[in-house]
Amino acid sequence: MTSLEIRLRALAHELDVPPERDLAPAVLTQLEGRRPFPLRRAAVLALALVAIAVGAAFAVPQARSAILRFFHIGGETIIRVETLPPAVERSEAGGFGMPLSRVKAEHTLGFRLMLPPFHGKEPDRVYVLGDSIGTVILRLHDRPVLLSEFNSPGEMGLKKLTVNQTSVQWVRVDGRDAIWIRGTHTLTYFDRQLGFREQTIRIRGNVLVWTRGGLTLRLEGSFSRAQAIALARTIS
Amino acid sequence: MVDRPLEETELVERARRGDLRAWETIVRTHQGIAFRTAYVLTGNAADAEEAAQDGFVKAYRALGRFRRGAPMRPWLLRIVANEARNRRRSAVRRERLTLRAAAEARPGDAVPSPEAALLSRESHEQLLAAMERLSDEHRDAIACRYFLDLSEDETAAALQVRRGTVKSRLSRALDRLREELEDTL
Repeated sequence: MTSLEIRLRALAHELDVPPERDLAPAVLTQLEGRRPFPLRRAAVLALALVAIAVGAAFAVPQARSAILRFFHIGGETIIRVETLPPAVERSEAGGFGMPLSRVKAEHTLGFRLMLPPFHGKEPDRVYVLGDSIGTVILRLHDRPVLLSEFNSPGEMGLKKLTVNQTSVQWVRVDGRDAIWIRGTHTLTYFDRQLGFREQTIRIRGNVLVWTRGGLTLRLEGSFSRAQAIALARTIS
Repeated sequence: MVDRPLEETELVERARRGDLRAWETIVRTHQGIAFRTAYVLTGNAADAEEAAQDGFVKAYRALGRFRRGAPMRPWLLRIVANEARNRRRSAVRRERLTLRAAAEARPGDAVPSPEAALLSRESHEQLLAAMERLSDEHRDAIACRYFLDLSEDETAAALQVRRGTVKSRLSRALDRLREELEDTL
Protein backbone atom coordinates (compact mmCIF):
# COMPACT_ATOMS: atom_id res chain seq x y z
CA MET A 1 0.00 0.00 0.00
CA THR A 2 1.38 3.41 -0.96
CA SER A 3 1.66 6.34 1.43
CA LEU A 4 -1.25 8.03 -0.31
CA GLU A 5 -3.45 4.98 0.22
CA ILE A 6 -2.44 4.89 3.89
CA ARG A 7 -3.37 8.58 4.19
CA LEU A 8 -6.75 7.92 2.57
CA ARG A 9 -7.51 5.12 5.01
CA ALA A 10 -6.48 7.34 7.92
CA LEU A 11 -8.68 10.13 6.57
CA ALA A 12 -11.67 7.77 6.63
CA HIS A 13 -11.47 7.72 10.45
CA GLU A 14 -11.58 11.51 10.62
CA LEU A 15 -14.66 12.05 8.47
CA ASP A 16 -17.70 13.55 10.10
CA VAL A 17 -20.18 10.76 9.39
CA PRO A 18 -23.41 11.11 11.38
CA PRO A 19 -24.45 8.10 13.44
CA GLU A 20 -26.91 5.91 11.58
CA ARG A 21 -30.44 5.46 12.86
CA ASP A 22 -32.10 2.07 13.14
CA LEU A 23 -33.82 1.83 9.75
CA ALA A 24 -35.62 -1.45 10.39
CA PRO A 25 -38.88 0.03 11.86
CA ALA A 26 -39.34 2.42 8.92
CA VAL A 27 -38.50 -0.31 6.38
CA LEU A 28 -41.01 -2.69 7.96
CA THR A 29 -43.69 0.01 8.09
CA GLN A 30 -43.33 0.55 4.36
CA LEU A 31 -43.38 -3.14 3.61
CA GLU A 32 -46.26 -3.90 5.95
CA GLY A 33 -48.30 -1.25 4.11
CA ARG A 34 -48.48 -3.73 1.23
CA ARG A 35 -49.94 -6.55 3.28
CA PRO A 36 -53.57 -7.46 2.69
CA PHE A 37 -55.96 -5.54 4.93
CA PRO A 38 -58.06 -7.42 7.49
CA LEU A 39 -61.33 -8.46 5.84
CA ARG A 40 -63.61 -5.97 7.61
CA ARG A 41 -61.34 -3.00 6.91
CA ALA A 42 -60.96 -4.13 3.32
CA ALA A 43 -64.74 -4.15 2.86
CA VAL A 44 -65.10 -0.61 4.22
CA LEU A 45 -62.19 0.57 2.11
CA ALA A 46 -63.62 -1.06 -1.01
CA LEU A 47 -66.88 0.84 -0.54
CA ALA A 48 -65.00 4.07 -0.02
CA LEU A 49 -62.91 3.48 -3.13
CA VAL A 50 -65.98 2.80 -5.25
CA ALA A 51 -67.43 6.11 -4.10
CA ILE A 52 -64.20 7.94 -4.82
CA ALA A 53 -63.79 6.27 -8.20
CA VAL A 54 -67.26 7.36 -9.27
CA GLY A 55 -66.59 10.87 -7.97
CA ALA A 56 -63.24 11.03 -9.70
CA ALA A 57 -64.64 9.89 -13.01
CA PHE A 58 -67.21 12.68 -12.97
CA ALA A 59 -64.90 15.25 -11.48
CA VAL A 60 -61.97 15.18 -13.88
CA PRO A 61 -63.13 14.05 -17.30
CA GLN A 62 -59.75 14.72 -18.87
CA ALA A 63 -58.15 12.02 -16.71
CA ARG A 64 -59.19 9.28 -19.08
CA SER A 65 -56.18 7.05 -18.67
CA ALA A 66 -56.48 3.86 -16.68
CA ILE A 67 -56.56 4.22 -12.90
CA LEU A 68 -53.80 2.03 -11.51
CA ARG A 69 -53.94 2.50 -7.74
CA PHE A 70 -55.55 4.57 -4.96
CA PHE A 71 -54.17 5.98 -1.73
CA HIS A 72 -56.38 7.89 0.66
CA ILE A 73 -55.56 9.86 3.78
CA GLY A 74 -57.67 12.45 5.59
CA GLY A 75 -59.20 14.67 2.95
CA GLU A 76 -56.72 13.79 0.27
CA THR A 77 -56.88 11.04 -2.30
CA ILE A 78 -53.94 10.08 -4.47
CA ILE A 79 -54.71 8.21 -7.66
CA ARG A 80 -52.03 6.64 -9.79
CA VAL A 81 -52.87 6.87 -13.48
CA GLU A 82 -51.05 6.01 -16.71
CA THR A 83 -50.79 9.59 -17.94
CA LEU A 84 -51.32 12.91 -16.22
CA PRO A 85 -54.09 15.20 -17.48
CA PRO A 86 -53.19 18.63 -18.90
CA ALA A 87 -52.11 20.91 -16.05
CA VAL A 88 -50.96 24.48 -15.55
CA GLU A 89 -48.30 25.94 -13.28
CA ARG A 90 -49.58 27.21 -9.95
CA SER A 91 -48.91 30.86 -10.86
CA GLU A 92 -51.14 30.50 -13.95
CA ALA A 93 -53.88 29.01 -11.80
CA GLY A 94 -54.08 32.10 -9.58
CA GLY A 95 -51.46 31.24 -6.95
CA PHE A 96 -52.38 30.13 -3.45
CA GLY A 97 -55.59 32.12 -3.06
CA MET A 98 -56.59 35.29 -1.25
CA PRO A 99 -53.99 36.69 1.20
CA LEU A 100 -55.60 37.35 4.58
CA SER A 101 -54.48 38.01 8.14
CA ARG A 102 -54.36 34.90 10.30
CA VAL A 103 -57.47 35.98 12.24
CA LYS A 104 -59.51 36.57 9.07
CA ALA A 105 -58.20 33.39 7.46
CA GLU A 106 -59.18 31.25 10.46
CA HIS A 107 -62.63 32.86 10.50
CA THR A 108 -63.10 32.11 6.77
CA LEU A 109 -61.78 28.58 7.03
CA GLY A 110 -63.65 27.76 10.22
CA PHE A 111 -60.72 26.19 12.05
CA ARG A 112 -57.59 27.17 13.94
CA LEU A 113 -54.43 26.80 11.86
CA MET A 114 -51.72 24.46 13.12
CA LEU A 115 -48.25 25.96 12.81
CA PRO A 116 -44.68 25.16 13.84
CA PRO A 117 -43.08 27.24 16.61
CA PHE A 118 -41.57 30.44 15.19
CA HIS A 119 -38.40 31.85 16.72
CA GLY A 120 -38.92 35.20 15.02
CA LYS A 121 -41.98 36.84 13.55
CA GLU A 122 -44.90 34.65 12.49
CA PRO A 123 -45.92 34.78 8.81
CA ASP A 124 -48.17 37.84 8.47
CA ARG A 125 -50.47 36.36 5.83
CA VAL A 126 -52.38 33.20 5.21
CA TYR A 127 -53.57 32.41 1.69
CA VAL A 128 -57.09 31.06 1.52
CA LEU A 129 -58.32 29.15 -1.53
CA GLY A 130 -62.01 28.55 -2.13
CA ASP A 131 -62.88 29.07 1.57
CA SER A 132 -61.45 25.59 2.11
CA ILE A 133 -57.66 25.50 2.09
CA GLY A 134 -55.33 27.68 4.12
CA THR A 135 -51.68 27.94 3.05
CA VAL A 136 -48.75 29.47 4.91
CA ILE A 137 -45.26 29.92 3.45
CA LEU A 138 -42.57 28.65 5.85
CA ARG A 139 -38.78 28.65 5.45
CA LEU A 140 -36.67 25.52 5.86
CA HIS A 141 -32.92 26.01 5.43
CA ASP A 142 -33.65 29.25 3.57
CA ARG A 143 -35.93 27.52 1.10
CA PRO A 144 -39.69 28.08 0.90
CA VAL A 145 -41.97 25.31 2.12
CA LEU A 146 -45.75 25.44 1.76
CA LEU A 147 -47.91 24.29 4.64
CA SER A 148 -51.54 23.78 3.58
CA GLU A 149 -54.39 22.74 5.84
CA PHE A 150 -58.02 21.92 5.33
CA ASN A 151 -60.87 20.50 7.29
CA SER A 152 -62.53 17.60 5.57
CA PRO A 153 -64.77 15.50 7.77
CA GLY A 154 -65.41 12.55 5.48
CA GLU A 155 -65.29 14.44 2.21
CA MET A 156 -62.58 14.54 -0.38
CA GLY A 157 -60.83 17.88 -0.32
CA LEU A 158 -57.84 17.39 -2.58
CA LYS A 159 -57.20 14.94 -5.32
CA LYS A 160 -53.75 14.24 -6.66
CA LEU A 161 -52.96 12.32 -9.78
CA THR A 162 -49.57 10.66 -10.09
CA VAL A 163 -47.86 8.53 -12.68
CA ASN A 164 -45.57 5.58 -12.16
CA GLN A 165 -42.45 7.74 -12.20
CA THR A 166 -43.73 9.44 -9.04
CA SER A 167 -42.97 7.68 -5.79
CA VAL A 168 -45.92 7.38 -3.35
CA GLN A 169 -45.16 5.77 0.01
CA TRP A 170 -46.82 5.23 3.35
CA VAL A 171 -44.68 6.68 6.15
CA ARG A 172 -45.30 7.57 9.82
CA VAL A 173 -45.56 10.96 11.52
CA ASP A 174 -45.72 10.71 15.30
CA GLY A 175 -46.83 7.09 15.04
CA ARG A 176 -49.67 7.78 12.58
CA ASP A 177 -49.98 7.02 8.89
CA ALA A 178 -48.83 9.67 6.44
CA ILE A 179 -48.12 9.71 2.72
CA TRP A 180 -44.89 10.85 1.11
CA ILE A 181 -45.02 11.81 -2.58
CA ARG A 182 -41.76 12.38 -4.41
CA GLY A 183 -41.84 13.74 -7.94
CA THR A 184 -44.11 15.64 -10.29
CA HIS A 185 -47.84 15.17 -9.93
CA THR A 186 -51.00 17.19 -10.45
CA LEU A 187 -53.46 18.48 -7.91
CA THR A 188 -57.17 19.23 -8.18
CA TYR A 189 -58.94 20.78 -5.24
CA PHE A 190 -62.48 20.71 -3.97
CA ASP A 191 -64.20 24.01 -3.32
CA ARG A 192 -67.06 23.84 -0.81
CA GLN A 193 -69.13 26.19 -2.96
CA LEU A 194 -68.10 25.30 -6.48
CA GLY A 195 -67.28 21.58 -6.25
CA PHE A 196 -64.26 20.26 -8.09
CA ARG A 197 -62.28 22.86 -9.95
CA GLU A 198 -61.51 21.62 -13.41
CA GLN A 199 -58.20 23.42 -13.53
CA THR A 200 -55.41 21.09 -12.50
CA ILE A 201 -52.14 22.39 -11.09
CA ARG A 202 -48.76 20.81 -11.72
CA ILE A 203 -46.78 20.21 -8.49
CA ARG A 204 -43.02 19.85 -8.92
CA GLY A 205 -41.84 19.57 -5.31
CA ASN A 206 -42.12 16.71 -2.84
CA VAL A 207 -45.17 16.46 -0.60
CA LEU A 208 -45.94 15.00 2.83
CA VAL A 209 -49.60 14.54 3.78
CA TRP A 210 -50.79 13.63 7.26
CA THR A 211 -53.74 14.22 9.56
CA ARG A 212 -53.97 15.78 12.98
CA GLY A 213 -56.95 16.80 15.08
CA GLY A 214 -59.50 16.52 12.25
CA LEU A 215 -57.38 18.49 9.80
CA THR A 216 -55.52 17.23 6.78
CA LEU A 217 -52.09 18.87 6.54
CA ARG A 218 -49.65 18.88 3.65
CA LEU A 219 -46.12 20.16 3.34
CA GLU A 220 -44.75 20.87 -0.12
CA GLY A 221 -41.17 21.81 -0.96
CA SER A 222 -37.81 20.65 -2.20
CA PHE A 223 -36.94 18.74 0.96
CA SER A 224 -36.08 15.16 1.77
CA ARG A 225 -38.56 12.81 3.41
CA ALA A 226 -36.66 12.93 6.72
CA GLN A 227 -36.67 16.75 6.69
CA ALA A 228 -40.39 16.85 5.93
CA ILE A 229 -41.25 14.39 8.70
CA ALA A 230 -39.06 16.28 11.19
CA LEU A 231 -40.85 19.54 10.31
CA ALA A 232 -44.28 17.89 10.45
CA ARG A 233 -43.60 16.70 14.01
CA THR A 234 -43.20 20.31 15.16
CA ILE A 235 -46.57 21.45 13.76
CA SER A 236 -49.40 21.54 16.28
CA MET B 1 -31.47 -24.60 24.81
CA VAL B 2 -30.17 -21.52 22.98
CA ASP B 3 -31.39 -20.93 19.42
CA ARG B 4 -28.51 -20.72 16.98
CA PRO B 5 -28.50 -17.54 14.87
CA LEU B 6 -29.84 -18.12 11.39
CA GLU B 7 -27.39 -18.07 8.50
CA GLU B 8 -27.91 -15.29 5.98
CA THR B 9 -28.91 -17.70 3.21
CA GLU B 10 -31.60 -19.09 5.52
CA LEU B 11 -32.79 -15.58 6.38
CA VAL B 12 -32.97 -14.70 2.69
CA GLU B 13 -35.04 -17.80 1.96
CA ARG B 14 -37.44 -16.94 4.77
CA ALA B 15 -37.68 -13.34 3.56
CA ARG B 16 -38.44 -14.61 0.05
CA ARG B 17 -41.41 -16.46 1.53
CA GLY B 18 -42.67 -13.19 3.08
CA ASP B 19 -41.09 -13.43 6.55
CA LEU B 20 -40.55 -9.76 7.43
CA ARG B 21 -38.83 -10.64 10.72
CA ALA B 22 -36.11 -12.37 8.70
CA TRP B 23 -35.77 -9.26 6.53
CA GLU B 24 -35.59 -7.11 9.67
CA THR B 25 -32.54 -9.11 10.76
CA ILE B 26 -30.91 -8.58 7.37
CA VAL B 27 -31.65 -4.84 7.52
CA ARG B 28 -30.07 -4.57 10.97
CA THR B 29 -27.02 -6.51 9.82
CA HIS B 30 -26.31 -4.28 6.82
CA GLN B 31 -27.84 -0.90 7.70
CA GLY B 32 -24.57 0.57 8.96
CA ILE B 33 -22.59 0.04 5.75
CA ALA B 34 -25.68 0.89 3.67
CA PHE B 35 -26.08 4.27 5.40
CA ARG B 36 -22.36 5.08 5.23
CA THR B 37 -22.26 4.18 1.53
CA ALA B 38 -25.21 6.44 0.81
CA TYR B 39 -23.66 9.18 2.95
CA VAL B 40 -20.29 9.28 1.18
CA LEU B 41 -22.14 9.39 -2.15
CA THR B 42 -24.61 12.15 -1.21
CA GLY B 43 -22.81 14.01 1.62
CA ASN B 44 -26.21 14.55 3.22
CA ALA B 45 -27.50 12.58 6.21
CA ALA B 46 -31.21 12.95 5.42
CA ASP B 47 -30.74 11.84 1.80
CA ALA B 48 -28.50 8.98 2.92
CA GLU B 49 -31.05 7.73 5.42
CA GLU B 50 -33.79 7.91 2.83
CA ALA B 51 -31.65 6.19 0.19
CA ALA B 52 -30.73 3.36 2.55
CA GLN B 53 -34.32 2.92 3.73
CA ASP B 54 -35.73 2.89 0.19
CA GLY B 55 -32.93 0.58 -0.88
CA PHE B 56 -33.94 -2.00 1.72
CA VAL B 57 -37.59 -1.74 0.69
CA LYS B 58 -36.76 -2.17 -3.01
CA ALA B 59 -34.37 -5.01 -2.29
CA TYR B 60 -37.08 -6.90 -0.38
CA ARG B 61 -39.46 -6.48 -3.29
CA ALA B 62 -36.76 -7.64 -5.70
CA LEU B 63 -35.77 -10.72 -3.71
CA GLY B 64 -37.20 -12.91 -6.43
CA ARG B 65 -34.38 -11.72 -8.70
CA PHE B 66 -31.63 -12.25 -6.11
CA ARG B 67 -29.37 -15.15 -7.12
CA ARG B 68 -29.59 -17.91 -4.51
CA GLY B 69 -26.34 -18.43 -2.60
CA ALA B 70 -24.80 -15.12 -3.76
CA PRO B 71 -23.51 -12.72 -1.07
CA MET B 72 -26.23 -10.30 0.02
CA ARG B 73 -24.01 -7.30 0.87
CA PRO B 74 -22.82 -6.33 -2.66
CA TRP B 75 -26.34 -6.76 -4.02
CA LEU B 76 -27.79 -4.51 -1.31
CA LEU B 77 -25.03 -1.94 -1.73
CA ARG B 78 -25.72 -1.76 -5.48
CA ILE B 79 -29.39 -0.95 -4.82
CA VAL B 80 -28.66 1.55 -2.01
CA ALA B 81 -25.88 3.26 -4.01
CA ASN B 82 -28.22 3.59 -6.97
CA GLU B 83 -30.81 5.27 -4.73
CA ALA B 84 -28.11 7.59 -3.37
CA ARG B 85 -26.89 8.57 -6.85
CA ASN B 86 -30.47 9.34 -7.93
CA ARG B 87 -30.80 11.72 -4.99
CA ARG B 88 -27.44 13.30 -5.75
CA ARG B 89 -28.53 13.90 -9.35
CA SER B 90 -31.69 15.66 -8.20
CA ALA B 91 -29.85 17.83 -5.64
CA VAL B 92 -28.81 21.31 -6.71
CA ARG B 93 -25.24 20.50 -5.79
CA ARG B 94 -23.51 17.61 -4.08
CA GLU B 95 -22.68 18.31 -0.47
CA ARG B 96 -19.04 17.92 0.51
CA LEU B 97 -17.75 15.58 3.17
CA THR B 98 -16.23 17.27 6.20
CA LEU B 99 -13.87 16.32 9.00
CA ARG B 100 -15.03 15.72 12.54
CA ALA B 101 -14.55 18.62 14.92
CA ALA B 102 -10.99 18.65 16.22
CA ALA B 103 -12.08 18.06 19.81
CA GLU B 104 -14.00 14.87 19.01
CA ALA B 105 -11.48 12.20 19.88
CA ARG B 106 -12.69 8.64 19.54
CA PRO B 107 -12.61 6.37 22.59
CA GLY B 108 -9.22 4.67 22.81
CA ASP B 109 -7.44 7.29 20.67
CA ALA B 110 -3.94 8.18 21.77
CA VAL B 111 -3.71 11.89 22.52
CA PRO B 112 -1.32 13.56 20.02
CA SER B 113 0.71 16.66 20.82
CA PRO B 114 -1.01 19.92 19.77
CA GLU B 115 1.55 20.43 16.96
CA ALA B 116 1.11 16.90 15.64
CA ALA B 117 -2.67 17.25 15.82
CA LEU B 118 -2.55 20.52 13.86
CA LEU B 119 -0.28 19.07 11.16
CA SER B 120 -2.41 15.99 10.91
CA ARG B 121 -5.61 18.00 10.57
CA GLU B 122 -4.12 20.24 7.88
CA SER B 123 -2.96 17.18 6.01
CA HIS B 124 -6.42 15.59 6.23
CA GLU B 125 -8.08 18.81 5.08
CA GLN B 126 -5.77 19.09 2.05
CA LEU B 127 -6.39 15.50 1.08
CA LEU B 128 -10.16 15.77 1.51
CA ALA B 129 -10.27 19.01 -0.51
CA ALA B 130 -8.24 17.37 -3.29
CA MET B 131 -10.57 14.40 -3.29
CA GLU B 132 -13.63 16.60 -3.54
CA ARG B 133 -12.12 18.22 -6.65
CA LEU B 134 -12.04 14.87 -8.46
CA SER B 135 -14.74 13.96 -10.95
CA ASP B 136 -17.71 12.13 -9.41
CA GLU B 137 -16.68 8.75 -10.81
CA HIS B 138 -13.13 9.03 -9.47
CA ARG B 139 -14.27 10.41 -6.14
CA ASP B 140 -16.85 7.66 -5.69
CA ALA B 141 -14.29 4.96 -6.44
CA ILE B 142 -11.90 6.38 -3.83
CA ALA B 143 -14.70 6.81 -1.28
CA CYS B 144 -15.97 3.22 -1.67
CA ARG B 145 -12.53 1.63 -1.63
CA TYR B 146 -10.72 3.66 1.03
CA PHE B 147 -13.39 5.39 3.12
CA LEU B 148 -15.83 2.48 3.28
CA ASP B 149 -13.20 -0.23 2.94
CA LEU B 150 -15.30 -2.08 0.35
CA SER B 151 -13.63 -4.84 -1.63
CA GLU B 152 -13.08 -4.29 -5.35
CA ASP B 153 -16.06 -6.54 -6.09
CA GLU B 154 -18.27 -4.61 -3.66
CA THR B 155 -17.05 -1.30 -5.09
CA ALA B 156 -17.87 -2.56 -8.58
CA ALA B 157 -21.36 -3.57 -7.41
CA ALA B 158 -21.98 -0.25 -5.67
CA LEU B 159 -20.83 1.77 -8.68
CA GLN B 160 -22.48 -0.60 -11.18
CA VAL B 161 -19.30 -1.00 -13.22
CA ARG B 162 -16.97 -3.93 -13.92
CA ARG B 163 -14.12 -4.79 -11.59
CA GLY B 164 -11.59 -3.73 -14.24
CA THR B 165 -13.24 -0.33 -14.44
CA VAL B 166 -12.90 0.06 -10.66
CA LYS B 167 -9.18 -0.68 -10.93
CA SER B 168 -8.63 1.82 -13.74
CA ARG B 169 -10.71 4.53 -12.03
CA LEU B 170 -8.79 4.02 -8.78
CA SER B 171 -5.47 4.16 -10.57
CA ARG B 172 -6.34 7.39 -12.38
CA ALA B 173 -7.87 8.92 -9.25
CA LEU B 174 -4.76 8.14 -7.18
CA ASP B 175 -2.54 9.63 -9.92
CA ARG B 176 -4.62 12.76 -9.94
CA LEU B 177 -4.44 13.06 -6.15
CA ARG B 178 -0.66 12.62 -6.25
CA GLU B 179 -0.39 15.43 -8.80
CA GLU B 180 -2.51 17.70 -6.65
CA LEU B 181 -0.61 16.88 -3.47
CA GLU B 182 2.92 16.49 -4.82
CA ASP B 183 4.32 19.01 -2.35
CA THR B 184 2.88 17.26 0.65
CA LEU B 185 3.45 13.59 -0.13
